[in-house]
Amino acid sequence: MCLFICVGLILASRAGLLSPVEGVLSVPLNAISGVFNRVALSLTNTVTDLSELQSLRERNANLEEALAQFQAEIVELREIASDYDRLTDLLDYTTGVRNQQTIAADVVGIDQLSSLRTIAINRGARDGIAVGMPVVTGQGLVGRVMDVTANASRVLLITDQSSAVSARLQNTRVEGSVIGQIAIGLRMTYIPLSAAVQEGDLAVTSGLGGNFPADIVIGQVISVREQQSELYKEAEIRSLINFDTLEFVLVVTSFQPVDVSTFEDS
Amino acid sequence: MSNWLSLPMLALAAILQSTFVPQIRILGGGPDLVFLFVLAWALNTRLENGVTWAFVGGVLQDLLSAAPTGTSVLGMVILVFAINQINRQVYGVSLAVIAALVLAGTLLQQVMVMIVLRFSGFPINLIENFTYIVVPTMAYNFVLIWPIYWFVRRLQKRYTRDGRLLV
Repeated sequence: MCLFICVGLILASRAGLLSPVEGVLSVPLNAISGVFNRVALSLTNTVTDLSELQSLRERNANLEEALAQFQAEIVELREIASDYDRLTDLLDYTTGVRNQQTIAADVVGIDQLSSLRTIAINRGARDGIAVGMPVVTGQGLVGRVMDVTANASRVLLITDQSSAVSARLQNTRVEGSVIGQIAIGLRMTYIPLSAAVQEGDLAVTSGLGGNFPADIVIGQVISVREQQSELYKEAEIRSLINFDTLEFVLVVTSFQPVDVSTFEDS
Repeated sequence: MSNWLSLPMLALAAILQSTFVPQIRILGGGPDLVFLFVLAWALNTRLENGVTWAFVGGVLQDLLSAAPTGTSVLGMVILVFAINQINRQVYGVSLAVIAALVLAGTLLQQVMVMIVLRFSGFPINLIENFTYIVVPTMAYNFVLIWPIYWFVRRLQKRYTRDGRLLV
């Protein structure tokens, strides 16, 4: 009897019949979870800071040195940027990430189940969030909105096993697909064997498939795997984001995902 | 009384599971606090009481997850029934029984979750999940069951008269 109730519950939830109840019940849980998450992240940051104090001092000195060099480069790059702006205005051309409207959201919880990589954020339908909207931070792509309630949303991280993002390597323009992995985080697959891929290459969204705007940073290549028996190369990608300690994210509200399934069916 | 106690205790465990546990994951696995509380409570209580805890804990856990509601309940309910059967045949709860139950129970719970997730359309890689999630979770649960069992027993004794729970 109990098992039938369990199975019934799962089927009803999958069919969306429980969505209103789940939405109402998750409101207080998400609110309390948000407070606990702040405390958890503060504690984690404190412990990490203490353990890395010495290395942070050395890093700080190196960064100050690098900063002085970069400031000189910035002046030069600003000149180039202003030239670029003028030229793109002339061509009436904008890339995917430019001019996007975003809403900032607090991360209030991480998925209970270790098999799933999702986060809960404190913005929902009332804030204009909709399913499919991309989620980013200053360091790059986080994921996309998979479920929305009135005042909270669930975001599928790009590190989840079910996530696949069309990507390209910034320098070589080689196309591939970045999929989530439990063990290593991210892996770029479907890279042609003839393509030159090097450690340190930056992977960005390609915009193919219409799920994400183009040119959002996904991560950096840390190793390349090539087997003669396979048709494609694979590269391990390290995101610049620590997904377990995310505090704030930006939801890109002005981007409309394109449904290409119509073309696939026909 | 103990049924009412389940809500705040398991809600707190579920919230800690969603906030603190991700910070201490090894590989991809971390302790399953809700599961441990349900297991510890079910070891010394009536069947219906244990089932209530499994339902409340599982639903709370699923509300803080992308998984369909009921995903975490299934494994825990089976475990509670198994504990009830074992309790009928074995007098008293020994450390060996607890150790065996936490290892076998964690395996059962994780496998049930993976099966439900696969049927729900999540592409779960069973071998990878076993290596990187199930094994570390079993290790974590094996370590944490002892303080949790001790805490739960103390709590149960407060609500117990002549060895029976006041439910």
